[in-house]
Amino acid sequence: MPLHVLIPMVAIGIAGVTLLLHLLGRSERAFLADEAAARRAWLREYPDAVPTRVILSHDGHAALVETAEGPGIVWPMGADTTARFLRGAHIHRTKRGLRVDLRDFAAPCIRLTLDEDEADLWPTHMKETV
Amino acid sequence: MTDQLTYPDVVTYAVPFFIAAILIELAWIVIKRRGGRYETRDALTSLLMGAGNVASGIVLGFVAYGFFMVLWEITPLDLGTGVWVVLVCFVLDDLRYYWVHRFGHRIRWVWASHVNHHSSQHYNLTTALRQTWTGTFTFMMIVRAPLILLGFHPAMVLFCGGLNLIYQFWIHTEAIGRMPRWFEAVMNTPSHHRVHHGRNARYLDANYAGVFIVWDKLFGTYVPEYEGEKVDYGLVHNIGTFNPLRVAFHEWVGIFRDATQPGLTWGERLKYCVMPPGWSHDGSRNMSEGLKRNYLAAHPEEAGTPGFTDVAGGR
Repeated sequence: MPLHVLIPMVAIGIAGVTLLLHLLGRSERAFLADEAAARRAWLREYPDAVPTRVILSHDGHAALVETAEGPGIVWPMGADTTARFLRGAHIHRTKRGLRVDLRDFAAPCIRLTLDEDEADLWPTHMKETV
Repeated sequence: MTDQLTYPDVVTYAVPFFIAAILIELAWIVIKRRGGRYETRDALTSLLMGAGNVASGIVLGFVAYGFFMVLWEITPLDLGTGVWVVLVCFVLDDLRYYWVHRFGHRIRWVWASHVNHHSSQHYNLTTALRQTWTGTFTFMMIVRAPLILLGFHPAMVLFCGGLNLIYQFWIHTEAIGRMPRWFEAVMNTPSHHRVHHGRNARYLDANYAGVFIVWDKLFGTYVPEYEGEKVDYGLVHNIGTFNPLRVAFHEWVGIFRDATQPGLTWGERLKYCVMPPGWSHDGSRNMSEGLKRNYLAAHPEEAGTPGFTDVAGGR
């Protein structure tokens, strides 16, 4: 197929599908309804690292998890979730909460939307990594 | 010799069909409220990976094709272009696909290229298009060498490979449950391939088939979809980015970081490249066999069920 046909077709196809999905409400982020949901999401990634404490963010879009192996975060990957330990992480205050930079090329940064109290409190639980 | 043989580039001609099928699957899911899930950024990433795969083929395709044409010059065999030759080529190329795909899950260097296809937590027709940008660097074109040397023209082999890829598009869906029993017995199907995309311990390293599931049955890697456990899609450790560049290259970066750690022997550095994903020099990580054993230790009642029929329990 000639490139002058293929390239516009691919570009329009990608843009069209993406716009359609957004208009159909498929851009919602995962919501952690309660601590049990956050615990399940964590254990889905780290089944051997049982949480000793779970702190859910006020908007239900992230959770700080404490385990015997150290603290970690569960956060949305679109409609799903992923999780990481915070070893070696750098934590920065932002206007909307915190930004956590990880030493992980496949998960380089977590942007957390937190209220003022949470943004003050969460880093104290992450302190061993700061 | 038939040096000037050409076939249509079937994958690019299938692009309109891919887009139409995605829209039909999406409409089905929206209307029926079942049969799969779509998420905007996930789908966008998958589609961009597909576009990048086509682009990388245009840019780097000459490497494999040049290698094949050298082999074609060497071989004294020429099976011609008959319909039966094409059919045999298709079947043998599917056998080639099975082994390349198996290597893709068992050799980290090849997994680094293939991992992006498994990096979505969704399983829909856009997932089918989440293809590698770095396949050339795996050198898996070598596995096609026997076909060329046997007398199948390189253009025919690539044509069959394109048809194989197109076949595999439609099996990336949850909208289809099971096909008729005879079809499930011989062909790769949505049910069989859902298993392949599972991150559940029972489903790891199973169902490598492209078109014919018989290869998995023949080589002992077949696992049926188990009613007792829904497939959980994605990677054992799911990625935390939708950035296509990170999706495409993250495992290559992981290999580099692992293999260049201080204090390793050269053998250990090599093993970080060629051992199965999850291998580590200090045993601190788990390969799929270890994940299965750990799961069985926690769930001994699952021993003997699909995916755990030949795994010894205990840690």
